[in-house]
Amino acid sequence: MEHDRHDEYALRHLDDMQLEAIRSEMIGERDERLELVIRALVLRAVPVIERVCRKRGTDRALSRAQISNAIEDASVRMLLRLKRLDRQPAITALAAEIAAACIDAQQPTSPTVPRLATRRPDLRLAEALGDAVKDGRVRPNDWSNS
Amino acid sequence: MTDHNEAFDQAFWQAVDDMHAGAVKPIESYLRLVPRHERDELGRMLADVLLARGAAPTPSAQENEAYTRALAVIDDVLGSAGPAGMLPNALKTMRGARGIEPDEIVEKLAADFDITGTAGRKALERNYHRLETGTLLGTKLATRLLESLAQIFDIDVRDLVAGAQPTGKAPRLTVAPAMGRGSGATGPSGRGERAPDLLPDPEVERVERLFHGGPDA
Repeated sequence: MEHDRHDEYALRHLDDMQLEAIRSEMIGERDERLELVIRALVLRAVPVIERVCRKRGTDRALSRAQISNAIEDASVRMLLRLKRLDRQPAITALAAEIAAACIDAQQPTSPTVPRLATRRPDLRLAEALGDAVKDGRVRPNDWSNS
Repeated sequence: MTDHNEAFDQAFWQAVDDMHAGAVKPIESYLRLVPRHERDELGRMLADVLLARGAAPTPSAQENEAYTRALAVIDDVLGSAGPAGMLPNALKTMRGARGIEPDEIVEKLAADFDITGTAGRKALERNYHRLETGTLLGTKLATRLLESLAQIFDIDVRDLVAGAQPTGKAPRLTVAPAMGRGSGATGPSGRGERAPDLLPDPEVERVERLFHGGPDA
């Protein structure tokens, strides 16, 4: 993105409210530097988004990838929101609200059922029969008398 | 902001980049890069930046990675803004983040706008693809199309409308024909009429209106 680095430096010195006021003004005037202001605001929102997504995502047992997806989702939604003409609430409050919604949109993966080794069948009858055949207590059926 | 030479800019931004990378050198090493009469001002600017940053946090590698990815996404979406504003890349990113396939979007749009035929669906697919790739004019998108997309993406339609507005001067883009055209043989030239079988498919026409007909279409 092409922009004047002095502008970027100047924007860093403004507080959130001042930036928001400039944003509203620039949207009305279709100022080409609007994106610079929106970027500055979203950069301030990203740490909040990151924190909310990580905390809430961990509580909901989401995977790392899902939390990361929610952070990206929320960052983009912030960009879109800040293109709107109407005044927006404090950037941190907005970021927290959007981040929570993005985390809630991720479906927790169902807990994996532990895959246990198949239980060895209990063949007590077959084993007892085998022992009886060995001892001569039972004779194998040779089908001669049936 | 006063005019500085290139060395001043380079020294300042070198220091800022080093701070971001966690590899900041003693301030004197940056001050030495600029002419003596500019050192006071550079020192003040760097002090301001350091003050604004506060104590350096020590984020985990995982947090750093997520933060870096978020910044990359932001710059990508802003940097690719075109005739449909930042909407194309924003849609693509949100779709990816929420695991929504393009087919699902076409399916939902087809249901919302009662598109049942093959030609209409193909027109939906083609136009949605063009929307995501940034080759449509944001100001020509129908509000009811954006409302439908807002439902799919679970977002306020006003955010999509705003995102679709190009920033700055109005874009210059050759607009695609607003009406669907039948393919194949053309009608008899030189006449003001078209044979009935060459009239555009009504569903294709409806789709074209949604994507090219303007907010009220």
